Parts: sequence; C-alpha cells; structure tokens
Amino acid sequence: MPSDHIQGGFRKNTSGKRLSTMIMNDYLDLHRRASEGAFVVWIAIIVPAELFSGFENVVYGVPESHAALCAGKGAGPVLCEKAEGFGYSTDLCSYARIDIGTAFDGGKDSPTFGLPRPDLIISNNNNCSLLVKWFDVYHRAWGVPHLVLDIPFCYENQKDRDFRYIMDQFGTLISTIEEMSGQRFDRDKARESVRLSSEAMKEWKRFLGFAAHRPSGITAFDSFVQMAPILTSRGTQRLVDHYRLLADETEEQVKNGIFPVPDEKYRLLWDNIAPWHQLRKMSGRLAGLGANITSASYTYCIGALEGEYDPYEFDGNDPLAWLARLQNFSVCPHGLNLRRKAMKEVIERNAIDGVVFASNRSCKVYSLMQMDQMRYIREELGIPCVMIDVDHADVRKYSEEAAFTRLEALLEMIDA
Amino acid sequence: MKGFLDSLADLKSQGHTLVGCFPLYPPLELLHSFGLTPVVLWGLRQDITRLTRSDRHLQPYACGVARCLSEFVLSQGGEFLDAIFMYNACDTLRNLPEILQSGLEQDGSSLPLFRLHIPAVPINPPSASNYLEDQIWELTKELKKFTGRSFSGPAFLNSTVLYNQQRMLIGELEHLAATGRLGFADCADIVLSAGRMPVSDHIALMEHTIRDAANRTPGEPAARIMLSGILPPPAALLDVMEQAGLMVVANDLAAMRRSYGYLPAASSDPGAYYEDLYSNHHPCTTILPSADRRLEHIMKTARENTVQGFIFVGEKFCEYEYFEIPIIAQMLAAEGVRTLELEIGIDDTLNLDAHRTRIEAFAEMLRQETGRSRRDKDAV
Ligand code: SF4
Ligand code: SF4
Repeated sequence: MPSDHIQGGFRKNTSGKRLSTMIMNDYLDLHRRASEGAFVVWIAIIVPAELFSGFENVVYGVPESHAALCAGKGAGPVLCEKAEGFGYSTDLCSYARIDIGTAFDGGKDSPTFGLPRPDLIISNNNNCSLLVKWFDVYHRAWGVPHLVLDIPFCYENQKDRDFRYIMDQFGTLISTIEEMSGQRFDRDKARESVRLSSEAMKEWKRFLGFAAHRPSGITAFDSFVQMAPILTSRGTQRLVDHYRLLADETEEQVKNGIFPVPDEKYRLLWDNIAPWHQLRKMSGRLAGLGANITSASYTYCIGALEGEYDPYEFDGNDPLAWLARLQNFSVCPHGLNLRRKAMKEVIERNAIDGVVFASNRSCKVYSLMQMDQMRYIREELGIPCVMIDVDHADVRKYSEEAAFTRLEALLEMIDA
Repeated sequence: MKGFLDSLADLKSQGHTLVGCFPLYPPLELLHSFGLTPVVLWGLRQDITRLTRSDRHLQPYACGVARCLSEFVLSQGGEFLDAIFMYNACDTLRNLPEILQSGLEQDGSSLPLFRLHIPAVPINPPSASNYLEDQIWELTKELKKFTGRSFSGPAFLNSTVLYNQQRMLIGELEHLAATGRLGFADCADIVLSAGRMPVSDHIALMEHTIRDAANRTPGEPAARIMLSGILPPPAALLDVMEQAGLMVVANDLAAMRRSYGYLPAASSDPGAYYEDLYSNHHPCTTILPSADRRLEHIMKTARENTVQGFIFVGEKFCEYEYFEIPIIAQMLAAEGVRTLELEIGIDDTLNLDAHRTRIEAFAEMLRQETGRSRRDKDAV
C-alpha cells in the first residue's frame, strides 16, 4: 500500500498536512485579531462570510464548524454534558449542545479554546430555525445583538421575490456592521472575495469529481475533513490554493493508481452530516469490506444551486447577487424534489451502488425527508439503500455494531 | 364534546369546504373570507391512536404534533379535507408538505396545497412587510382560483371581526378558569375545539359556557400555577393538577394564550392585517422575532397573576421550546417561582404515572412553601 495513504481514506499527503496547519492558523488568527480589537461576528455556516472581507477589520467565527471540530477531536460528549448540565435537553442538536457547553464554560475542553466573544451574532433560518434559537441563547446570556437573515425554504428553485428579499437583508447586514464597527463597507473588496470563493468552489468540485473514477480517487470522508476551511477561510486566496493543491494531488494519485480503497467493490453515497466521531473508524472498517463511501450529499451540495451539482460561477458583477442566489448551498433548505434531483445526478455521475441514509435525530431538518427520499432512490432508481442511526456529533447516541449490521446488509443487497 | 374526526365528519356532511391548516398560527381569517372552513391540525392525539401511515414517512423523533397531523392527512385527509395550508411555523412542519403529497400520491390521491412564508424577522422594515404583503396577495389569487370567488374586502373585514370576537371570548373563558369558576380542563377543551369548528359555532359555544360559569363561586387554590408548552397536557394530567390543588391562573400555551392573546385591528386589507398580527403576535418561541418579548411577557404575566409555580409541558422533540426553557426557569427562579418540567411524548397519553407523581410532589412543595410564607407573615 502506498505510504501516503491509510486504507479507507485520510490523506497524509501535502494537502492533508496543509489542512491541519490552515485550520490551526485560522483559529489562532481569529483569537489574535479579536484580542487586538477586530470586530467579531459569529455566524451560521450559510451566512455570506465573504461580505466581511469588505470591511477593514471584521473577523468571524462559525459555531457549527467549531462544534464539528470538537466532535472530530473527541470532545463532543464532555461538551454536550456540560450543556445538559446547564439545562439544555439531550434532544437538542448536538452541535448546539457542544457549542453551548463550550461557550458557557470559558472554552475549556475545546481544542480551539472556543471562539472569541462576539460583538454581533448573525444566524439564518434556512438550514434550520433552531439555529436562531441556539444563537439567541448567547444573545440573551451576553446581551450581544443578534441579526437573523430570513431565507425562505426552497421547495423549488429560489424565486425572484425571495432573491430580492435576501438582497434587502444583506443591505441591512452591511449597514448594521457599519454602524456597530464604525468601518465602511468596500464592495470591491467583497467582489474579490466572492471571486476567490467561486474559484475555490470550482477546485472543490474538481476534487469531488474524482469520485467518478473507478476505483474512486477519494472517499466522502476526505471531503468531510477537507470542507472545514470553506467555513473558516472563505473568500481567500489560501482557500483557492488549498483546493487547487488538493485537486491536483488527487489527480496525480489517480494517475499513479493510488486509491483510498484499491480493491473497491461497493461505491456508496452518504446522506446526512458527517459522523464526525467515526470518520476514521467507519472509513477503515468499510474499506475492509471493500466498500467506499465515495460521495456525500453533505459535501456535494456546497457551491451549487438548489438541486444542482456543478458550481454556480461568479460572473464578476454584483457580489451580493451571487451570494444571495447561493444562499441555499446546503441540503437542509431544500425540499424533497430538489434533494432527489441532486442525488439522482450524483448517483449517475459517480456510478453509486448503494445509498446510506444516516438518520440523525440531532438534525431533524436533514433527516425528516429521508424515508421518502429512500423510497424514491430504491423504487424509482433501483438503487439499494439502508438507514442507520447516527448522531453527527454526540457519539453517545451511536452504536457501531447496529450501524454495521445494516451496512453489511446493504452490501449483501448490492451483491444480490 | 365531539372529537376531531367526528367534528370533521359533521362539517363535511353539512357541506363545508375544509382546509386542513398546519399549526400554529395560520391566516384563518383569509381562508374564512373565501367561504372556506379552516380546521387546525393539532390536538389530534386523542383521535389518532395508531401511527401506521405516518411511520412510513417520518422517523419517531418527529414531534407528536407532526406525526399525528401526518397520520391524519395520509390516512383520512382525502376523505375529510379539500385542501391543506402550511406556513414555515417550524423546521419539522416545513419539511412535511412534499412528504405528505408524495404519500397521498402513492395512494393515488392528492390535495391542493397553499403555502406562505411568514418573515422570521421583525416585519417593520419595508422589505419584510412588502414580502409578506406580496405573498398574502398571491395567496388570495390562489384562493380565488380554488374557490371561484373573488377576494372581498368587506368579507375579509367581517372575518376579522368574528375572529377577534373569538379571541376576546377565549380571554374571558381563560379568566373564568383562572378564578376557579371553570375547570381548566374544560376550558382547554373548549379553546382547542376552535380548531375543529366554524368560528361562529365556536363563538356560540363560548358565549353559552361563559353565561353558565360566570355566576359560579370562585375557587380557592392551594397554589397558583402558569402552564406553558405547545398543547395543554392530556386531560388526565390536568385532573391530577386540579386534585392536587393547583389552579392554572395563567397560561403560555401555543394552542391557547399564544394563539389568541393579541387582537389585531379589524381590517379589510389582508396585507395590513397580517402585518399587524404577525408583528405584534402574542410572543411565541416559534415566532422568532418575538422571542425577546416572550421572556418579559412570561415574567410580567407571572408577576401580575402571583404565580407560584410554572409547569412547562414540553412536547418531546420540539426544539424551539427546549432552547428557551433553561433561561425562563432561571429568570423565574430569581423571582421565587418554581419550575416543573414535564415532557410529553407521543406514547405518554397511555403512561402518565411518572408525570402524576412529579406533579403531586411539585404541588406538595408549593403547598409547603405557601404554608411557610403564611406562617412567616403571621409571625411578623
Ligand atoms: S439541526 Fe442540523 S442544520 Fe440545524 S444546526 Fe443542527 S446540524 Fe445544523
Ligand atoms: S410541537 Fe414544535 S416541532 Fe412540533 S410542530 Fe409544533 S412547533 Fe413544530
């Protein structure tokens, strides 16, 4: 086996090492600039972070991303327990519990020491509205203003009316930051940041495209790990460079016959948030069975419009318009028909043999369409499917044996 | 009083065109002004005893409201309903329309669907109010197509007057319950029946009940409590509360006070009316911009009604409610109000023993505290 690959994914190559440094630097930089007086914003993942580049000295932290990092580093249960100790129900989203546990205990047990205290909190409600409730917790505890972007859910492609409504709200967001921080917004700087994001998304999709190769050049687990800087370095040249390097390296490996699951027999698709606490274990154990989860709805939606796969490219004009049009770049704000459309395309592109629906009680918005989605994939597309129970960040709610019993059953179905 | 299904069967046989509205706060007046009879699909737990259809579409961690609603629409919606209406009340409900439509399609049936996105931001900036108004007018066009009737300003005005009358009478009814002249279980039953009968019938029912109860002697509670949650707890638990001497002097229930607490100005203009209604709505955890007002409102209500205990009847898996409860409990505690948190899951209508014990213990604690504070006062 090539020395730079562990069976089942996890690159120990240049882009893998670069990723760790990049994330570490992003968090260090955030803490440093905050301590030096930058205006600190906490945002939900879909909030258009590129806009902050239009200001001289605005930095942002992403609680969801921080929670994912904590879960990946094994700190999920201890931080969830803290939140539960503060009275937050175990049924609440585990990202929220991890982050509340961190924030209300001064960042202890978080690998990044939490996030620096915000001056402004910005959430949106299209991924989920509970995020607004979650951010409200901080707003109340610390008296920090909380701005909500109201982004209508998409049962079909974004309507013109919705687009205009979102544009208006971006205006409010900008003027709020201007007023609070005393800094002026520079549209050209934001345009450049958007251009870089669009560029980075092209490279991201080039990287994901290697899932179409047989055997696949990547695993979905690679994409889970590699998506982190989209949230911490959005709209930067370093993000473009990183994804270019990642895609180039993957291309090189494919050319050289280096594959994460060389004896790949089963090509699977994952539907839901990454199982952050299981990345290594799950990918390794699946690889041992000749199975590779090559694609994931969680990562293939990034950078695309509703129900699409290809990146939505920036035309160089109004950066706000690009951001507004792309306000639904994750799966949760999509209705069933849009989810079906995108998944069908990926199943066909990447020659998927089976789909794993990770039913995740922590994220109801992602999960409460899966039974119908699964029926469609199985009955209309004839692709075997299985549903397993996974909490994306709280390992206490996951049973590896129960999950693998079902995963093995899926492989048998594919064989049948 | 008749249950949900029987009531709907009656309405159907009387020729009503029924629109099944997803909770929580649909624009009932607008539907009514088109000659439709809106019914609100919550409080179905007594009627929906099995979830066979819903379980084929929803995982068990969807809240009971959504599961019962889905079961009803999928198994009997075609029989009773002529259309469905939904708005973005919560994440779970927003995921449902296509699931239900695809479930109905699998059975070869379908129901027209009306949808609305109510801004989840303060509606005062023009962008949000224009957005809402735009949609309201679009909805009126869809309703025109559906009913064959044009929108009528006077008809809408008349509907808003009726619904305001309903809101006022519900206020009176809750006041009677708060003073012990009407059992809270009966009060809740009557208020909830609003979702399954024409507004004019509901008004008549309340007028009758109020006349009957008004002259009764007020009751003397052992302890004064405020109930919070989405739906009132099952009648059996309300009985336990009553037997334990707990009197519900105020409520923050979504299906009761939160639904009817604000009286918008009657109007012939639906855009202006709904802007007023949703901007100034009685605070609710699901009306996102009202969340800050909600905390103040609960504290104020607790003070004004000298509430001693706050019982939160959590609808299992309703995240909206659970995010707010720790801070509410904290704020109430700072004012000496005790909180009891109950969680009602879909199966809890059958197994209420654990809740019963906790309610009795809570009542005992409040009684002891009341006794202690009386003794302290006497000593002074
Ligand atoms: S519920 Fe889902 S979409 Fe919402 S914050 Fe949690 S993980 Fe994200
Ligand atoms: S109980 Fe909560 S989650 Fe369920 S439908 Fe109502 S608001 Fe939504």
